[in-house]
Amino acid sequence: MLSTEIVGTPEAIAVPRGTAATRVLRMLYRDKLALCAGIFLLIVITCALFGPYLLNDIATRPNLRARNAPPFSLAHGWLAVLGADALGRPLLARIIVASQNTMAVACGAVACSALVGAVLGLVAGYSRGRGGQIIMRLADIIMSFPSLLLAVIVLYMLAPSVGNLIVVLAITRIPVYLRTTRAEVLEIRERMFVQAATVMGASRMRIVLRHILPIVIPTIVTIATLDFAFVMLAESSLSFLGIGIQPPQITWGLMVSQGRSYLANAWWLAFWPGLAIILTTLSLNLLSNWMRVVLDPVQRWRLEMRKTEA
Amino acid sequence: MKQAKQLAGIAFVSMLAWSGAAMAQGKSDVTIVLGEQTDLLEPCMATRSNIGRVILQNISETLTEIDVRNNSTLKPRLATSWEQVDPTTWRFHLRQNVTFSDGSTFDAEDVKHSIERSMSSKITCETSRYFGDTKITPSVVDDHTIDIKTDPAEPVLPLLMSLLTIVPSETPVEFTRNPIGTGPYKLAEWTPGQRIVLTQRDGYWGDKPAVAKATYVFRSDSAVRAAMVKTGEADIAPAISAEDATDKSIDFSYPNSETLYIRPDDSMPPLNDKRVRKALNMAIDRQSFIGSLLPEGTEIATTVVPSTTAGVPKDLKPFPYDPEGAKKLLAEAKADGVPVDTKLELVGRTNLFPNVTEVMEATLGMLKDAGFNVDLKMHEVAEFEGIYSKPFQKGRAPQLVAAQHDNARGDPVFSMFWKYASDGRQSTLSDPHVDDLIKQATAATGDKRNQLWSELFTYLHDDVVADVQLFHMVSFARISPKLDYKPSIALNGQLQLSEIKFK
Amino acid sequence: MLRFVRQRVTASLISLVGLIVLVFFLSRLTGDPTNLFLPIDASDQMREQFRQLHGLNDPLIVQFGRYVWDLLHLDFGESIRQARPAINVVLQAFVWTFQLAVITMVLVTLAAVVCGSLAAFNAGGLFDRFVSLLSLIGAAAPDFWVAIVAITLLAVKLSWLPTSGTGTLWHWIMPIGVLFIRPFGLILQVVRGSMLSTLGSAYVKTARAKGVRTKSIIFVHTLRNALLPVITVIGDQAASLLNGAVVVETIFGFPGVGKLMIDSILQRDFNVILAAIMVTALAIFVMNILIDLGYALLDPRIRY
Repeated sequence: MLSTEIVGTPEAIAVPRGTAATRVLRMLYRDKLALCAGIFLLIVITCALFGPYLLNDIATRPNLRARNAPPFSLAHGWLAVLGADALGRPLLARIIVASQNTMAVACGAVACSALVGAVLGLVAGYSRGRGGQIIMRLADIIMSFPSLLLAVIVLYMLAPSVGNLIVVLAITRIPVYLRTTRAEVLEIRERMFVQAATVMGASRMRIVLRHILPIVIPTIVTIATLDFAFVMLAESSLSFLGIGIQPPQITWGLMVSQGRSYLANAWWLAFWPGLAIILTTLSLNLLSNWMRVVLDPVQRWRLEMRKTEA
Repeated sequence: MKQAKQLAGIAFVSMLAWSGAAMAQGKSDVTIVLGEQTDLLEPCMATRSNIGRVILQNISETLTEIDVRNNSTLKPRLATSWEQVDPTTWRFHLRQNVTFSDGSTFDAEDVKHSIERSMSSKITCETSRYFGDTKITPSVVDDHTIDIKTDPAEPVLPLLMSLLTIVPSETPVEFTRNPIGTGPYKLAEWTPGQRIVLTQRDGYWGDKPAVAKATYVFRSDSAVRAAMVKTGEADIAPAISAEDATDKSIDFSYPNSETLYIRPDDSMPPLNDKRVRKALNMAIDRQSFIGSLLPEGTEIATTVVPSTTAGVPKDLKPFPYDPEGAKKLLAEAKADGVPVDTKLELVGRTNLFPNVTEVMEATLGMLKDAGFNVDLKMHEVAEFEGIYSKPFQKGRAPQLVAAQHDNARGDPVFSMFWKYASDGRQSTLSDPHVDDLIKQATAATGDKRNQLWSELFTYLHDDVVADVQLFHMVSFARISPKLDYKPSIALNGQLQLSEIKFK
Repeated sequence: MLRFVRQRVTASLISLVGLIVLVFFLSRLTGDPTNLFLPIDASDQMREQFRQLHGLNDPLIVQFGRYVWDLLHLDFGESIRQARPAINVVLQAFVWTFQLAVITMVLVTLAAVVCGSLAAFNAGGLFDRFVSLLSLIGAAAPDFWVAIVAITLLAVKLSWLPTSGTGTLWHWIMPIGVLFIRPFGLILQVVRGSMLSTLGSAYVKTARAKGVRTKSIIFVHTLRNALLPVITVIGDQAASLLNGAVVVETIFGFPGVGKLMIDSILQRDFNVILAAIMVTALAIFVMNILIDLGYALLDPRIRY
């Protein structure tokens, strides 16, 4: 069973037609789960871009008559279909508005930490010199520096804004990318093809970018998609402790931590924003798994296989 | 490192111990779950609520005691009676045949040492703050009589003595971790961060209490505290949030002596205009909070101290909810050139009480509806204290600080100077008449004192409109059905085990 | 190998010194503990007294000099909040955190490696999808939410377990269970991803071409090489557990170093913050050295 999976059958590898874009879309259409994930993410992005301009007023105006209104009822308007929070503000509208800050913090922090971490990791892994050592010891320091203390320091001296929050979260997440990248590079640079390239006189830059980076990227992407959730939740605990984003600003994490005290009698307050976090993470992961299969010529066989099964 | 090894050993053994101590409970034992860690058990810090709930009147006793169940009058404890010898001297007659838990006898020397110890500059005891700049000189008359001389005169000295815990005269002048007192209980076990155990001791001077052993444990999450009483792991859980108080048969509300109020920066335009402050008061629909964001039983406030405090006038009317009137006042002020459109900052503190964020957001909404240009800023405790207390930051926006004040002591003297005098640390007011009234009332006694306080409260509320008084808050305690115990206002700062009976 | 360890220990000590300097000065930028320790209506005289008593009036550099001098005599200073040596406070808490972290990580590693490689071998299959979905939901679910639901269900409704606290073995089940979820999801995903790329790489194919057919041998080959990024992520997760599992410790009343650290930071109890960071940093440095040794052990081509 294992062998058929890995080798694949020649008939399965159909010759793709059309432009690159349509080809990718066609492949996406074939993987229903990835398709749903893509659509969901598209919705989230749309909400993040336009939500606050359309719904900000509805999402922030208290309405004590609809206090803790239960979900699945249209009594307080369609926006309250997911229920209302402790001040009677419709949860759906709040989730949509909050998506902007949430996405800004999560994307910003994950992108910054992944980029910086990966670059430093490549350097630290490929160069055997002192530079690599210094980078690793810096990573040690960051790893053992409690993220909370860092947050208190930065947010105490500067205001708790989205930008500063990105800085704090990005710094604390750098070591994981750095260390993972380095670990992979340590192994890859010993592989035959890298050594072959070196012998053939390829420049160090070329080896790192063309030969090593493509193999490292999938791991980084896997961690990054999961880190999305981590960052959103970390942001929520900072808000809870009083040093993160504070009301009247909203993020999903803040909504979750505010809903915490209502878990017993109004579960929906924490549930829906929590679900939004889970679904976003899930979609990102599904899409990244799909992408890595599509983009990786070594692994493409699995998608082609599924085509014949379908 | 050797220590670490030992500790590891202890922890490992405790982890393997299948039959936990918490499970095996005697009939007359109680477990109390508190929200805040008790990190010190120092008698002279007993006015701090997390310490007082464990040791005050259980281990360490005071000369006098406020009787909260009897209209906050003063009753004897270690002193049997007291009288004023001359305007600056009070004489206390001490109870006889009282011993400390270490076996030594209680006498006037112990009282003298306790006073000197808590006033000493070598340790930072909390008690001394209640005496302000007053100089206290105790002198022993005989074994069971002590004179306390004050400079200047201190008319409420007997009340102040209800805050000063008595320790044996041998106690060193540094923070102790082994409190010795005259109370009915002694410290039996203290594992920091986990539990404190008090056991009844022999030779207590008073009645033998029903509770033989009390275990204190600490959980910061209100839902967990409530769950622990529900499952029988604990018997008393003070200060659970209203959301967790879901079972009417075991959850009791009690006034927690905290008053929520908003302090506008009276020294800064536009808040230095009385009409604007009046408009703030009229913009907030206080009634709508009660029963929704704040539990039933919350009382609308007109003064910064609970209504049971001496000298609080009964006839003060809270400002009516009138957003239209507020708008009109703002327009008037604007016509006179007051910059009412300046951006105001509503400042709140995270975790001040359950629901604080929602209460602040609702307040924000109401102020906006009445036409104020205002933003909300929530801060953690350290930052908040920096904004609330002097010295105020330079270049600040006009701020509306929402704070809680706690005065369960029965007299406004513990509040008024700090909150309203020109030199008061949390005061933005600078009104000679207020300063004068505070000075007079602090020095006065009896009816005269009450009348002066009453005049001050009325002046502040009706004439100056110094601040926006909101609510006298309530908390909930979950109490196991096996106990006969009703929480009172005192639960905010102490929990007398001798008041607990079994059904 | 010995030379490597020696080098690393020296480098780590330098990092530790850097960390101490950094934390000492940065933490003092966040405000004065005086206002937090003393009641809000304390007089200026009391405040002055307090600062004097704890040496907060001296210039920072003098305070630092004094701290280092004491440190060289193995004196970590007093905790302002608890009036006892800071190092005792920290060690007491760290013992609990350490046990919690080790037990959790061992369980997580075993479960994630087994499930992750099974999922990778069977990529796209039912087991893969199920485990991936479950682990992702777990990794993205707010931990306090899981903790409170667990208490309500297992302790209050069913009375199977005690709600919180320490004392018996039963008390450990829920905290470990809640802590398990997130690292499990993360590590499982990394195992799965890493296995997949290794399975597709040349040497596994070579091994196959050479006639290695037995599943178990392929498993060992692949796993061994796939483990490099995996142990890195395990290290990262373990480090965050060693720094203290704040939410779990708070909710379950577990007397660990995370809760201690939060309280100390919020109360500006600097000596405890510093002592706590030194202890956890030491643990993390040791772990990182072990991980680097682990690389060399797993892949003999990696030399230091």
